[in-house]
This record gives sequence, C-alpha cells and structure tokens, in this order.
Amino acid sequence: MEEQGRRGNVITVFSTASAVGKTLVAINMAAELARLGYRVCLVDLDLQFGDVCNYLHLVPERTIADAQQAAASNAEAFDAMQFLDVYKCDEISFSVMAAPLRIDEAYNMSASAVQHILQRLQFRFDFVVADTTSAFSEMNLMIMDMSTIITFLGIVDFIPTIKNMKIGCDTIRSLGYENGKIRLVLNRSNSKTKIDLEDVENILGEPFYHVLPNDFGAAWDATMAGVPLVRNADTALARDLRALVARYTNLEVADESSQNNGMSWFKRIFN
Amino acid sequence: MDYQVILVENNRLMLERLSSVIRGTSGFSLAARYQQAGDALGQSAMFKPNIILLDIDEKGNLGLVPEFASAFPGAAILCISSHWDAKESDQIAQAGAKGYLVKPFSSEELTEAVQTFSKSGMAQGSEVLAFFSPKGKSGKTTLIANLAMSLAARSGEPVGIIDADLQFGDMAVFFNLEPKSTIVEATRDVKFLSPITLNPYFMAVPEAENIRVLCGTKKPEFAEMVEIAPFEDLVRMAQSLFRYVLIDLPPGFNPISVASAELADTTYVVAMVGGGFEVLHMKRALDVFKAWPDYEQRVKTIFTRVSPCTEKERELLEQELGYPVSSIIPNEYLLVSAAANSGRMAVDVQPDTPLSKNINRLSKDIMGRRIQWGAP
Repeated sequence: MEEQGRRGNVITVFSTASAVGKTLVAINMAAELARLGYRVCLVDLDLQFGDVCNYLHLVPERTIADAQQAAASNAEAFDAMQFLDVYKCDEISFSVMAAPLRIDEAYNMSASAVQHILQRLQFRFDFVVADTTSAFSEMNLMIMDMSTIITFLGIVDFIPTIKNMKIGCDTIRSLGYENGKIRLVLNRSNSKTKIDLEDVENILGEPFYHVLPNDFGAAWDATMAGVPLVRNADTALARDLRALVARYTNLEVADESSQNNGMSWFKRIFN
Repeated sequence: MDYQVILVENNRLMLERLSSVIRGTSGFSLAARYQQAGDALGQSAMFKPNIILLDIDEKGNLGLVPEFASAFPGAAILCISSHWDAKESDQIAQAGAKGYLVKPFSSEELTEAVQTFSKSGMAQGSEVLAFFSPKGKSGKTTLIANLAMSLAARSGEPVGIIDADLQFGDMAVFFNLEPKSTIVEATRDVKFLSPITLNPYFMAVPEAENIRVLCGTKKPEFAEMVEIAPFEDLVRMAQSLFRYVLIDLPPGFNPISVASAELADTTYVVAMVGGGFEVLHMKRALDVFKAWPDYEQRVKTIFTRVSPCTEKERELLEQELGYPVSSIIPNEYLLVSAAANSGRMAVDVQPDTPLSKNINRLSKDIMGRRIQWGAP
C-alpha cells in the first residue's frame, strides 16, 4: 500500500553548463539545512560520475543501485533508509544516498525507480537535496517535476556557457513550472571574465535570485578536506551559501536569534 | 572547356533521363553513352573523357572499376547507383573510383559531386575520431575545433566535425556559424541522402575551407529526434566526404556516445584537470572501454588544462591513471575564451603558443598513424 502522510521538500541543484559547482552547492545546502536542525538526505543523481562521496570522503557500502534492486525484488519489504550512508562533521549530520559504484549499474537505472525511492525518502526527511547532471534527461525531468525548488546554477565565464544557460533557462520555463519554483543562482561572480553580469541577466530575461562569490581557494580546501564550507562562517562563500539556505527556509535574517526562532517555527510545520 | 562525360547505364529509360540531365548541365558535355560497361571500356578512349559515370547496380560493373581506373587514368570515375550503401561505397573507393552519386541525379547534384570529389576524391581510409568525456567541461570542444584546424591545414585534406553533443553542443558557437541545418535534419533525411546530398547539411567554415561542421540541435528537446541507427549511417556516409570525421559527444555513457565510440577508429577520453577527481573519473570510464578486446589500440586519453604542461606532468598523470596519456593540453583559458568569444580558433590566432604546439603535435600523431596503417 502507498504510504500516506507529510512529504518533505525536494531541492534540486541543476545546471545546463557543466562544472559550475553543483556538487559543492548541493553538499553545502544539505549541510547547512542539517546544521539548522532539519532532517536532510543528499541524493547523488549524477549516477555515472557522481562526486558527492568523493567530496565528503565517504566510502559508501550501499548505493542507489542497491536500493533500486531491493525495491524491484521485494517492493513490500523495501525500506529506503537501509540504503543510506551518514555523513557527520561536528554538529552537522545528514544522510547520503550514493551514486552507483559501477557504471553499468548507473546506465541501467530507470527514472521511475529513482522516483519511487525518492518518494519514500520524502516521508523520512524534511529536505531531500538532489545533485544532478547537466542535461535534460528523463531522470532530471523526473526530479525537476518532483522538486519543491529547482536551484538553477550558472556561471559567467565565456559565451558557450552563457548560451547553454540561456537555452537551459528557456527550456525550464517551457516546462510550465510556477515562477517561484525555479531560482537562478550565479556561482563565482567575480571570476576573471570580461562579460558583464547585467548583460547576462538581460539575456536570461531575469535577475539572479542569489549570487555566490568566487572563492576557488576556499572551495578547493573544503573539497580536499572533505568538509562542508558552511561548517564555519569564516569565508564570504560560506556566508553566502548560508544566506542562500536562509532564504530557502524563509529565515531571511541570518543572525543566531532569528535563526532559532525560525527553526522552531519551521519545526512545527514538519513535526 | 566542358567536362567530357561518358555515361554507362544499362536501363534504357534511365540512360535517356540521365543523358538529358548531363546535356542540360552547364560545363558538362555528354561525349558518349553505353548500356554495356564492356563497350565503354573498349571504346571510350576515342573521346578523351575526364568523367566516367558508371552504373554499379548492373551486376559485374563494380568489379570493372579497377580496369576503368587503369584504362582512363585522366578520368574521374563516379559510380552511380539507385541507393547509397556504406559497404559498397568503401569498396568502390578502394577500387579506385573518385565518388558516388545516387541516380537519378539533378544538374546541381552532378555539379556538386564533381566539385566535391575532384578536390580530394572520395575519402579513402577515412578515420572517425570520437571525443568522449566522463563529465562536462572537459575542454574537448576547444580541443576538437583546434585539432580540426590543425589537421585540415597540415594534411590539406577535408575534415568534418559532427556535433553530437545533442542538447548543449557548442560547435556552432565556437565557429561562429548560424546553422541552416543540423544533426536533427541530417539524421532525419539520411536514408534519402548520398554523400553529395549530405554535404550541404554540413556548414562551411569561412576561415578554413577544408573544414565543414554538422552542428548540434538548436533546442535540447530536439535531441530526442536523433535516433541511433540513422546517426550511424550518417557517420559512415560522412566518411565518404572527409578524411577525418571528428565527433563531439555529450558527457558520460549514453546511447549516442556509446554508438559513436563503437563506430570510431579511435576514441579519445578527455578530461580537464582541476576538479580534483578527473583521474578517478577517467579510470572509471576506461574500465568500461576495457570490455573491448582491442581497447588499448582504440582508446586514447587526453588531459586538458594541464599546468605545468610538461612531459614530467604527463608521466605523473599516466602513473596515476595506470594507462598511457596520449596528449596533454595546457591551460590557455584567456586565449581560448577570447578566441571562442570571437568565433576564431586559438591555433589560428596564435600559432606559437604551447596550446597550438601541443595540438599540432597531436594532429601530427594522428596523420603519422594513418601513413603507417596505409603501408603494406
């Protein structure tokens, strides 16, 4: 029988240009939500070459491929929670559903099976954060349909990237989602380029919802150390990532007291 | 002077029809026509032909191509057939025919065929090079565009680029082209096409006359319209037009990248240094290709944005990867992006940079390999 009850948010981090920092942003969103006290599961939907576990220094014992197999062989007994790893760092703790270990497993994953798994996770978590690939694949369209919010991540480096961002934006808009569902986020706003932010916003036809500063050094250090940036608010990038999550959770003012208030308010909704 | 044409066509009605097309084409004279190939072989010398149109639907005619070739060394033999066949096309190129034309043809198609094939002949031993990357942002579009420039300039032979990165292909932007037709139309129409009628689907590159580009889709949703079997036919047909066919693939393993790699003589796995996990991804990708018994010959690796771009660095990458690294391309972000923003190529803009040198070295390797293979 289908499970009934409250289903958590799904936040998808998507882009149409590659290497824009999807994984970094997805991990830090998950970490920040967890830091604020939410139950969070990060799902790596870059099935073939996912980097979530690489970034977090996790060696997963079970993956989404195992979950698909278990659900297929015995749907009644299937428990998605058994296919999660837990990431812990100081007070931050969240669950991770890892990408398949083998490429052939990844190649054979179906969008409907993944959808089924994610729906199960929605009953257990306040937030399911999904990292994706840069394509309008069946898998990505499925997760976008399921999503509460789509974080459409872009960078401004050179013309082909902007062309793909524009095409991506237009295509997403053609899917007929409500305006508030898609949030344009610009990563690395100060990277060396001669292209103007305003020009890009004109091309895209809307301003960026949020802008993250370029701090390759901080991002690199965090990746190498296997820790989320938002653990400390000591870099501008970390502070802006925190601020982005605060906007998602409607905690516009990010000082400690209002965060706590907001949290209890939010907890009421979920518990 | 007009081209002196000999027409060999067994079917009486088709003979009439094609004769009137040839007579009506400016620049072409019908010198003589025959229903039997043997007659043409024995009697055409009288007319000093420079083009022989030989019907190969007639049994036995295909086998006569070498005899025609040696009897009329000054003439281009163009085989004509009611349909285009990849295997046959290969055979006739080997036998010494210059080109292939599907009948009945129009005056435009005849003219186009002679123009196309008189430059280089039908590409013989054409090589397909597929460029695969585990993840996006590998630098492979930059690499392919510059490599094509280098191959075309150094070999003087025609180079075709197929942008099969179906959703987000950037080749049109790199070459500053406004495609009138794309891979979507080409695969849709391929069953009605021959190399000559396929050629216009590829866009000419103003800065490089030897390069033609079949651009990617204009919108991501069109990607679904490209089916695998016609795509494979398209690649085989393009081999009749280009000595080198370079295919830009979407990231990861998907039906189009798998089909292309299967078809290709060489698959280059390309990754950009910088993300931290590129060697790991390349290893995973190579593990999949290792299912081929001859993968060591067919699969090569390239790292881009390597810094410092030295032999020592290449060896380090090779050690880490546990597989030969064929080429390393240095980081010339500003040069490449400035060139790409203006629709030009770095090898063209600044031929003396390390980037250009390494790409030229790669194209030399590719050409050298061909010569070796061609030797008995």
